[in-house]
Amino acid sequence: MGTLSRSTTPDPPSVHPGTNAPERVLPKLKISHLNFFYGAYQALHDVELEISANRITALIGPSGCGKSTFLRVLNRMYETVRNARVAGEVLLDGENALALDVAVLRRRVGMVFQKPNPFPKSIFDNVAYGLRVNGTRGTVLREAVEHSLKRAALWDEVKDQLHQSAYALSGGQQQRLCIARALAVNPEVLLLDEPSSALDPIATAKIEELLFHLKANCTIVIVTHNMQQAARIADETGFFLLGRLIEFDRTAVIFKNPAKKETEDYITGRFG
Amino acid sequence: MMRHRWRKFVNALMFGITALCALASVCVLFWILGYLVWNGGRALDLDFFTQLPKPPGETGGGMANAVIGSGQIILVAALIGVPIGFLGGVYLAEFGSGTVPFLIRYTADLLNGVPSIVIGIFAYTLVVVPAKHFSAFAGGVALSIILIPTTLRTTEQFLRAVPQTLREGALALGASKWQAVATVVVPAAIRGVSTGIILGIARIAGETAPLLFTSFSNRYWGTSLNQPTASLPVMIFTYAISPYADWHRQAWAAALLLLAAMLLLNIAARLALSRGSYQRT
Repeated sequence: MGTLSRSTTPDPPSVHPGTNAPERVLPKLKISHLNFFYGAYQALHDVELEISANRITALIGPSGCGKSTFLRVLNRMYETVRNARVAGEVLLDGENALALDVAVLRRRVGMVFQKPNPFPKSIFDNVAYGLRVNGTRGTVLREAVEHSLKRAALWDEVKDQLHQSAYALSGGQQQRLCIARALAVNPEVLLLDEPSSALDPIATAKIEELLFHLKANCTIVIVTHNMQQAARIADETGFFLLGRLIEFDRTAVIFKNPAKKETEDYITGRFG
Repeated sequence: MMRHRWRKFVNALMFGITALCALASVCVLFWILGYLVWNGGRALDLDFFTQLPKPPGETGGGMANAVIGSGQIILVAALIGVPIGFLGGVYLAEFGSGTVPFLIRYTADLLNGVPSIVIGIFAYTLVVVPAKHFSAFAGGVALSIILIPTTLRTTEQFLRAVPQTLREGALALGASKWQAVATVVVPAAIRGVSTGIILGIARIAGETAPLLFTSFSNRYWGTSLNQPTASLPVMIFTYAISPYADWHRQAWAAALLLLAAMLLLNIAARLALSRGSYQRT
């Protein structure tokens, strides 16, 4: 699979994004020739992808297609797996993400997991965690916690029980708490690995609405099994199959007029 | 119809046998406890906790020095054994993979099975022989060798039970491996870990053989950790094999006190565990 061309011709990137809302923005993440191995098993084959800033990018595909692995390359969470090895290039704002200090990278590229994983601590301590390991204390910390909970649309529900256990919250609230926790360190990119697969439709709708608001300040990459979800929220969508990025385009194109037969088969439910 | 009745009979019979065996194992504890209360309860008076032992043949006196001595020896053992066992367990659960941790784990399990009298001889060679005298410190060293493997393995097991997703959550926020372990994983497992440590301490509190070679005994107050020191298990041993009826009575009392302390530690450990072991969502 070579470099994927977009159906629209990219405009020259604007040097001052925000001065006149550009049609095409600078790629926040530029991934080239990415190959990934678990031991001898190759999980990703020569992936090429540009993820635009302040957009929601969805990655879809059947189980085991490599989309979650791809996500875990972007913040180098794969490093917790023994014998995992990556080859290729990941540029974050032009910087080599694979060579950055891993703690710095993970503060810039936050992650929300499939199952809500609040720490067995209070709601406040959960959100404060990322800031505390960076050495933030006192008033700054309290304000940042409040701000993050507001950004995650959870503040009104929890403001009177900040010092109670995070386990007292519902599943949907816990997931928004995990989003607030990730937002607290002010990441430039937020990775979400099937964030609503364990949630009911109402909680899912809340998360989707939240992501929609967040993209103003954050680049969002979301892995999802749910094609309707990708269609609803994503600006751009990539389709993975057997470790290859088959097609990447604007979401409308992927869902209405895909270029590749495999994409069409998957979208129309012929496999996967 | 016959077969149905036969089946019901076998069912009732097996239920009866298993229930009886279960009851028998519990009965042993209550039998011992009852026997100790009966024989030792009367001897367990204020003098027992406040008086020094009387010379052989005289009645009265107590084991105040042995109560304190046991406390000293256990404290030394805990101060040495708990940090080593705990941090070693953290290493095995969080940082260790490959041959070396496998060997450590295997060796710890072997050490756990070494007879306590052998550990007593080891501590004797290690501490008592160079110092040329028995001491509370030597007793503490001997007991710490018994405490280390249990603390190591229980710490490792409880840390491993903490879901991987919590570690990932912390790492994804830019925490270092050590920060994730110290601020998320260990707090999530701390109740289980402390339960294991309390049970380990309860176990060493009753050890006798290692102390015969190390802390030995003392009829008077120990003034430092560098002196031979009386302890409850050794006093029970000494008094029980003596020819004096009053010493027998006091040995019963000491045994009752020791068993009661161990039961209390066990109950405390269970309470600590039940009141909020890590809950999965």
